[in-house]
Parts: sequence; C-alpha cells; structure tokens
Amino acid sequence: MVETAPLWSVLVLPVVLAALALGAASLDAVLAARTAGRAPVRAAMAEPLREVARLLVQQRRTTLAPDAVLWRLGGASVLVAAVLAAMVIPLGRHAVSDLAVGVVWFNAMEVIVWAALWLAGWGANSAYPLIGGYRFLAQALAYELPHMIALITAALGAGSLRVGQLVAAQADLWFVVWMPAAFAVYLVSALAMSFWEPFDQPVQEDVAGGVTAELAGADRLVFVAGRYLLLTTAAAFAVPLFLGGGHGPLLPPWLWSLVKTAAVLGVLVWSRRRLPTIRMDRFEEVAWVVLLPLALVQLLAAALVVLVR
Amino acid sequence: MDLTTVLLRQLRPRPLVVAGPGATRSRLAVERALRAWGWAPAATPAGADLLVVCKPVGPVMAAVAERLWRQVPNPRARVDVGGEPDTVAAALRAAHARLRDAAGQRADALERRHAPVQLDGQGHGQPDGHGQPDGHGHAHGGPGQDHGMGHGMGHGMGHGMGHEMGHGMGVVAGLPTARRAADRDGLMLDRLHVPLGPVLPDWPGGLVLRASLQGDVVQEAEVEVLDLAGAEHARSGGEGEVAFWDEPWLRALAGAPVTAGDAARRRAAAQLDSLGRLLGVAGWADAALAARRLRDDLLAGEAAAGVAGRFERLARRLRRSRTLRWLTRGLGILPPRDAAADGIGGPVLRAGGDWDVTSRWLRWLDEVGASLEVLGGAAADRRLDPGDETDGPRGPLAPGGPPSAALLRALPGLVVGAELSAARLIVASLDPDPDELAGAHAASVAHG
Repeated sequence: MVETAPLWSVLVLPVVLAALALGAASLDAVLAARTAGRAPVRAAMAEPLREVARLLVQQRRTTLAPDAVLWRLGGASVLVAAVLAAMVIPLGRHAVSDLAVGVVWFNAMEVIVWAALWLAGWGANSAYPLIGGYRFLAQALAYELPHMIALITAALGAGSLRVGQLVAAQADLWFVVWMPAAFAVYLVSALAMSFWEPFDQPVQEDVAGGVTAELAGADRLVFVAGRYLLLTTAAAFAVPLFLGGGHGPLLPPWLWSLVKTAAVLGVLVWSRRRLPTIRMDRFEEVAWVVLLPLALVQLLAAALVVLVR
Repeated sequence: MDLTTVLLRQLRPRPLVVAGPGATRSRLAVERALRAWGWAPAATPAGADLLVVCKPVGPVMAAVAERLWRQVPNPRARVDVGGEPDTVAAALRAAHARLRDAAGQRADALERRHAPVQLDGQGHGQPDGHGQPDGHGHAHGGPGQDHGMGHGMGHGMGHGMGHEMGHGMGVVAGLPTARRAADRDGLMLDRLHVPLGPVLPDWPGGLVLRASLQGDVVQEAEVEVLDLAGAEHARSGGEGEVAFWDEPWLRALAGAPVTAGDAARRRAAAQLDSLGRLLGVAGWADAALAARRLRDDLLAGEAAAGVAGRFERLARRLRRSRTLRWLTRGLGILPPRDAAADGIGGPVLRAGGDWDVTSRWLRWLDEVGASLEVLGGAAADRRLDPGDETDGPRGPLAPGGPPSAALLRALPGLVVGAELSAARLIVASLDPDPDELAGAHAASVAHG
C-alpha cells in the first residue's frame, strides 16, 4: 500500500521532520519547567524557538589547530544522516522513496552517525569533545548489533526489506504483538543511536557537554537540531517496523502515521527524565549478555512463526 | 529594525556560572534565580553568552574568569554578583538587557575583531611533555598563546613534566603532541593531562584535579584548591564571611546563640546541594532539579512540613532506582578505617553498606530525612550546644582542620584507576567544600 511519492516530497520531508522535532523539544522544555516549579508551564513551549534565535545571532568560534573540515563535516552529518534515513519512512501511503532495500538503507544512513560523532569529537582538537567522541564509539559497540537484529526480525516477518511490504504485512496484526522483544530492543537502540538520555554519555555534562563542548552559534544549532531530527527519525521508523504503519481505523493513513510517531517520540522524550545516564562501562555487558541474546531468541521465534504460518 | 535586533530580543541567556572558594552564598542566589527564570546554565564558554562571576573573587579565580570571558562568543555579557538575592536578580536582569542591546553588541564584536588574534578554547588536554617553565604559571602568554582551555583550566599545564619537554616530539601549532607511557595493562598509550576544574558543571568551584588520562582511565591525580590565599585576603579586608555551609556551627563555637533547628536546616540544605551535584554528574537532571528546589526552599525558610513530603517522594524515587544504585555501585570504595586515617568524619565515615558512592548518597538521604525531623520537631528551638554538637554537613567542625581538607586528602587515591565518569561521581560523592579550606574555619575555631 506504500508507493513512492512525487519528487517534490523531498522538500516536504524535512519540514515534517522538523515540525515533529520541534514538538519533541517543546515537550521536553515543558517537562523541565514542571520539575523546576516554574509557572505557567505552558510558557516553556516557546523555549526551543528562543534557543534557535539565540544560536542564529551567536558567532561561531574556533579552537587552536582544529581539523576544521572534519569538525564541521562531522557536526553537520548528524542532521544529514537523519534526513536521509527518513527518506524510506512512509507517511501513510507515501514515502519519498520506497526502496527495495529500505531497511538496509535506514541502517546504513544511521551508521553515518558513528563517523559523524567521532569526527565532530576529534576535529575540535580538544580533550572533552574527544572523550565524547570515543564514548559514542563504545556506545555504538553496545547497541548496534541488537539494533540490526531487531531490524532483521521485522524484515523477516514481512519476508522483505521493502518498508512498504513491512507495512502491508501488518494489515491484520502489528508486528509489535508477536515481536515485543524486538520492539523493546529497537526502542533502546533508538535512544542510544540518537545519544538521547539515558544514553547521552557522548554529550554529557560531566565532560562539559562532550562533543558539543566547543560548539557555538550555527555549528551548535546544526548539531543539536541534528540530534533532535535523529531521535524523530528513529521514533518514526518504529511505526512501519512494528506499529502497523498507516494502518488503523477511522483516521486516514497519513494521520495514523503521524499520531503513532508522535506517541513513540513522546515516550522517548519522557524517558529522559526517568533515568540517570547509563555509562557504557556498565551497559556494555548488559548489551552483549542480555540484549543481544534476547534479540536473537526473538529472531528465532519470529522465524518459527513465519515457517509454521 | 533589522533581523539581528529582532532575534536578540527573543534571546534567553545561557549563563556560565563561575564560583570560586567563598562564593557559595552568591552561587546559591544565582542558581535560584536561574531556575526560577528557566535560564539553563551552559557547561562551557562556547555554549554561553552570559558570564556570571560570583563574588567574592580571589585573584586566581579572577584570572580564570577573564580567560573564560575571552572565549565567550558574541553576543556576550558579563556580570559579577554578590550574595544578596535582590541584588543578584537585578544584576542578572541588567546583564540580560546588555545582551539584548544590538548596538552595544556590535561595538563589542568589532572591537574583538580588531584586537590581536586570540585562539582560545584549546588545551583541554595538554599533551604529555608540554611543560611550562614556571610549572603553575597562572598568567602565561599573551593573546595567541592562550592555551587557556575551555573551562578556565589553563593553570599549570604540564606540571612536573617539564623535563620531558622538547625531546624529539612532534609539534603542532606550537603545542607538542601527546607522549606515550605504559598504561595499567603494560600497553604504550598516549597520555593526556586533563585538569578537571576549576569551572565545570556540578563541580566544587575552585577545585582543580589534575588528571593524567590514558583513554579515559585516570592514571595519576593530584588536587589543588585555587585562591585560598585570595579568599583569606578578602576576609582580612572585612568582606569575608565564614564558610556558608558551616556557618551555624562556627557561630555557635564563637559563642553566638544558634538554634538546633537552624543548624538542621543548614545541614539538610548542604546535603541536598551535594546530592543535587551528584545527581547532575550522574546525568539525572530531573532528580537533581528536584533536590535543588528543596534546597532553595529550605534556605528560603520554608517550614519543615512544607518540604518533608516532597523530600520523601524524592528519597523514595532515588532509593527505588535500581539503575542509579547499579551505576554508582563499587565506585570509590572508602572503608571506615582508611577514612578515619585520613581524618574524615561525617556522612562519608557513617556511610555503611559497601562504603561506595551508592552508600554515600543513600547516607545523605538518611541524614537529610533526620535533619528535617529535627527541624519539624519540638527541639528545633533549643539552643545548639557548641561543646557537644559540632557535626556539620561534611563532618565535625572541631579543631584539627576542616572536614573538606580530609576529604581532599583521600580524593587522589580514590580516583586513580577509575574511568573519568566514575572519577567525577567519586568527587561528587565526597563533595569537598572549597569554602571550608579558605581559612574561615580555622580562624573561627581559633576564636571560639
């Protein structure tokens, strides 16, 4: 039921993503205002836009002997990777491109973030960003394999790597029902790949903001916006993977896609407030001893269901 | 009206707060105002547009602030604030107005452009072997050689490493490249010298922990508190005050009438402040914010009944958090025998459990709860007995040195071998108070 949209949809995609990301940022600001005891809490909704204004007028800066090309390239790549990955995500019946290898495309684009964070951390020629950069590599080592297996599980259920086929296969029953563990693993890895709390070690305050420590002005804006877009993309891809895509009663498919995406995004944003930062020296073991076997067992179970069905 | 002016009007400042030894009262007033207005603090000068320097400022911290100020990108404003809540709010508002003044900001930006080139923000990690001849040179170099580093940690780079300088190393942009040394597993790895502090988020202001890192494992560490002499000097000039968190006990020792309730209130607030820092370092901003709100309400004089319920909710949430226990377990183990040998008292010595970071934050929760009970109880108006009740937030305030001096003695041994994030948690779980070292304690006790 998913088809490739006309070319102009390339222009619509970033707008939709940005709107969702802005909503996520507003929700986050509102939740923070509530904890801080600031009233009215509603006033916090405009915070993200004010921050954008602040960063737009702020001057960029440099450090002593940076690797400027890699530094800027790394900072911008997060945003680019997020938008490129989102190209295969259908909004209702239409995706910018319903590639035959859509799931692989998403995975490939999202792996660009590995390079992006490392380059952005390395390029500044400064200790804290460097530490942030290699913290992300350790994190990637923990989440990437369980993440890929979760993606494969969904693809296996549909017998296709085409995202449109995944959605079509969930017309009767959403994958989340018979692949709950894969869904859970996907959500955890979505948080980790967008280095969102509680997996924010690469940009954590304990190393003065890590990769972001030396960023100012437009550079910081591009990086921070990229992180929000990445979180949005990761949340949006959960919908065709596990939550039935545009399927649902009454509402049109595109609206179902948006509602489901907003719901997943809301949960991811909210989760930030519930947990302290999970350090990789502790989590690495959990990822390899618990998450990876769990994802494999889920894959096996899904394979048996497909065989028997 | 041009676009810059329009955008500047919308600007909500991001302050970088600099508070050295002796500036706790000002810091608390600033943090309270920032929280009330929703001005999220910045972690580095790059992320800031407003530099808030808490008074009193000693000469070394003043130099640190100056170096940070050079690294704040335009538009920018700087404000030095004292401890009175009213004046703090007014000063911050005035700085906000300067920040929004497009003409003034343009003039500042032009002036900076015509000034000699300043390449700053560098030197978070001075590579091994980069020795300053003067070791702890606080004022090295002019513009262009400001290796002053993002967070005002430019002091004494390359301490003790000067002898290695310049022997067949690569040099990039005037800085030597990293030297290698054997790590704990016998591998030859690059070694970076990263001074933590004196200005970092959730860090005791003015404390510098000079760490040698390989990967992110701390191989060597030494601690220093900046500006002790400066703070003492300020005091002799009459503007000084005793260490804020120890004030009730020190006043009681000096013979002033202090109630048990006031002491309990101060102790609870101090330990909530420490708890807020630990939670901040642990990356749990939400819980840290809740702890700081309680701290501010207590200091503003709210009755125990108004705080106790909210504190219980926070304490329950933290005690139930298996994740937080798991993340802080086994870090910085300090058995009571070793603690006593270093002269440590207070919650660290009473921690119990596994004597690790987890035990210490659990102990804070217990002690804050107990303090709130005293505050709400019938005995709150009783006069504090200075001969018997000397137990401040960090330990007994008796002759023999301030509690934080003992904590600092134990600190280097605890962080060596720890990963950087663990090292920061260990520092936060001891939370030494630079104010205590600034001479006030010793002087007051002697007087008492």
